[in-house]
Amino acid sequence: MEILSSLAVGFAAALQPINLLWGFIGCLLGSAIGVLPGIGPALTVALLLPITAKVDPTGALIMFAGIYYGAQFGGSTTSILLNTPGESSSMVTALEGNLMARNGRAGPALATAAIGSCVAGTIATLLLTLFAPVVATLALKFGPAEYFAILVLSFTTVSAVLGASMLRGFASLGVGLVIGLIGLDSTSGIARYTWEVPELVDGIEVVLVAVGLFAVGEALYSLLYQKEEAVRRHRLTSLWMTRDDWKRSVPAWLRGTMIGFPFGSIPAGGAEIPTFLSYSTERKLSKHPQDFAASKGEGAIEGVAGPEAANNASATGSLVPLLTLGIPTSATAAILLAAFQNYNLQPGPMLFQTSSDLVWTLVASLYIGNVILLVLNLPLVGLWVKLLQIPRPYLNAGILVFATIGVYGMRHSSFDLLLMLAIGWVGVVMRRFDFPVAPVIVGMLLGPMAEKQLRNALSISQGDWMVFVTQPIAASILALTLVVLVIPPLLHARGIKLHEDD
Amino acid sequence: MPRPSKVVLTQLAVGTSLILISGVLAYGAFRFPPEMGFVILSAYVYPYAVAAFVGCVGLLLSYQAITGGLRNLPDHDDVAATTIPGGKAGAAWVTVGLLGVALLIEVIGFVLAAGLLFAFSARGFGSRRPVRDLAIGIALTLPIYWLFNAGLGVSLPHLINVWI
Repeated sequence: MEILSSLAVGFAAALQPINLLWGFIGCLLGSAIGVLPGIGPALTVALLLPITAKVDPTGALIMFAGIYYGAQFGGSTTSILLNTPGESSSMVTALEGNLMARNGRAGPALATAAIGSCVAGTIATLLLTLFAPVVATLALKFGPAEYFAILVLSFTTVSAVLGASMLRGFASLGVGLVIGLIGLDSTSGIARYTWEVPELVDGIEVVLVAVGLFAVGEALYSLLYQKEEAVRRHRLTSLWMTRDDWKRSVPAWLRGTMIGFPFGSIPAGGAEIPTFLSYSTERKLSKHPQDFAASKGEGAIEGVAGPEAANNASATGSLVPLLTLGIPTSATAAILLAAFQNYNLQPGPMLFQTSSDLVWTLVASLYIGNVILLVLNLPLVGLWVKLLQIPRPYLNAGILVFATIGVYGMRHSSFDLLLMLAIGWVGVVMRRFDFPVAPVIVGMLLGPMAEKQLRNALSISQGDWMVFVTQPIAASILALTLVVLVIPPLLHARGIKLHEDD
Repeated sequence: MPRPSKVVLTQLAVGTSLILISGVLAYGAFRFPPEMGFVILSAYVYPYAVAAFVGCVGLLLSYQAITGGLRNLPDHDDVAATTIPGGKAGAAWVTVGLLGVALLIEVIGFVLAAGLLFAFSARGFGSRRPVRDLAIGIALTLPIYWLFNAGLGVSLPHLINVWI
């Protein structure tokens, strides 16, 4: 009951006309940027972050929810119409959705993606509403030792479980940890690795790293290694879904949500596993296996509906560890954390007590954002598709100009722009040799947190390292970490793959 | 799966740079000023740990690079893949544009610097009409400038510097 009344207050704040307007603007901008090929939600949110800087926190949060949902929908649109997924979790959407588009069914593919995202987003937000306060209460009992254990688990899962090579995941994590080291040490006050460069004392902004790796790195990489393909654009057909489409989509949406939310809410990071899992589930359960890409079919609508729902549900699920523990488990969540800190909000168990109004406004705005997305984007999808007709030079030049404005706008420092360029080149090398990017972003944020918690834990135990073994919760989380480290190589050795390769 | 044993130099360079970074971290940690008072875990402990971690990863990557290349790369012919024709020139244009905007933004002002970046990047991606590109770039950045400065109160540097 307490939740309901808090939520009602949140809705009252979020539904004010001016805030709704911010939501619409956010949704428009998020879709406009997110629809551009090669740009995923993390980058969209990073690029648009400075825009929200001077809006009051409530309005900004609503705008943010709009940007976030808009970016996700924009990504699905490009995947379906152009077959250029902006991030790995929309790869499955591209697989079946683009096949549908090639067979003249782009409209229903887009519709099932949009409605499915809305359904999944709403159910996941409902689960978030119910679970987050419980987790937050639980998390209040966690001491530094438990936090440290959870952080180590998050590091490990984000870098070891995803991607083709655990070693390269760890290399990316290492780079992230190194970046996180730069700046003032919060405990001793010593400036570490600043090499007398004043700009480095405050550390390096996560948005800068994300924009460098994603936008600049991607632009340079595509120039160096990607041939300009004559991308076939598919005509937009009627968005109308047939009765049969609905019958096949609805169960897939629900299953996708149930698969996506739990994966998002544990600190395992990434929407890759749940989307692939949902896809293979749909393929096994489908009464129309002949439609799937693997059987050279015409594209199966449940193969779009399920993974899209899973993707959205897991994105919402990742807000659970973010809001209750302050731990981001994906690149997008890491950028969101930076956004919260912009508004002087420190996510964590205390957030529900110190800024409960804002938290519930955010939750309410997630519900509203879902609806805004549906009423705004589905009718406007033709407009977003037109954006794709911008010639490649102008598209990329525009993205780079936006990246520059975003990074420069944060601190007004030319040094940051040089750093962005350097990180862009690091991004090219990483992309070239298949180093995952998310561990860099997550590592640079979680590294300093882990160090702080480790120090606190050892202060409490008076320097006794056994505290991590003798305290049951911390010990079991660390044991789980060990399992996560050992299982993938074991599975691999036995010839079992976690990913479906095509 | 037996692979022909070969050394992939670019990959070896990635591995050795990580080892190098590890060395720099350790050297830096060694030079931290001493801490005062009661210290439970010194400011250099975690950096040393990160240095050790990065060093190990660098060694393993180098080992893979020497013994046939990184494992499980997505395209198996990727090692042989080279840059596409004109790719390097394009990347150079973009790099110079970004370098230029970093060095010039506080000198010639926001709109001109961003306009130049736009023109350089468009050139990098194959456009051959510099004057038109510059005009489009400026036309694009002007409204952004107004939006940020007037609408949102985020101050960007001057439109163009007054003394130009």
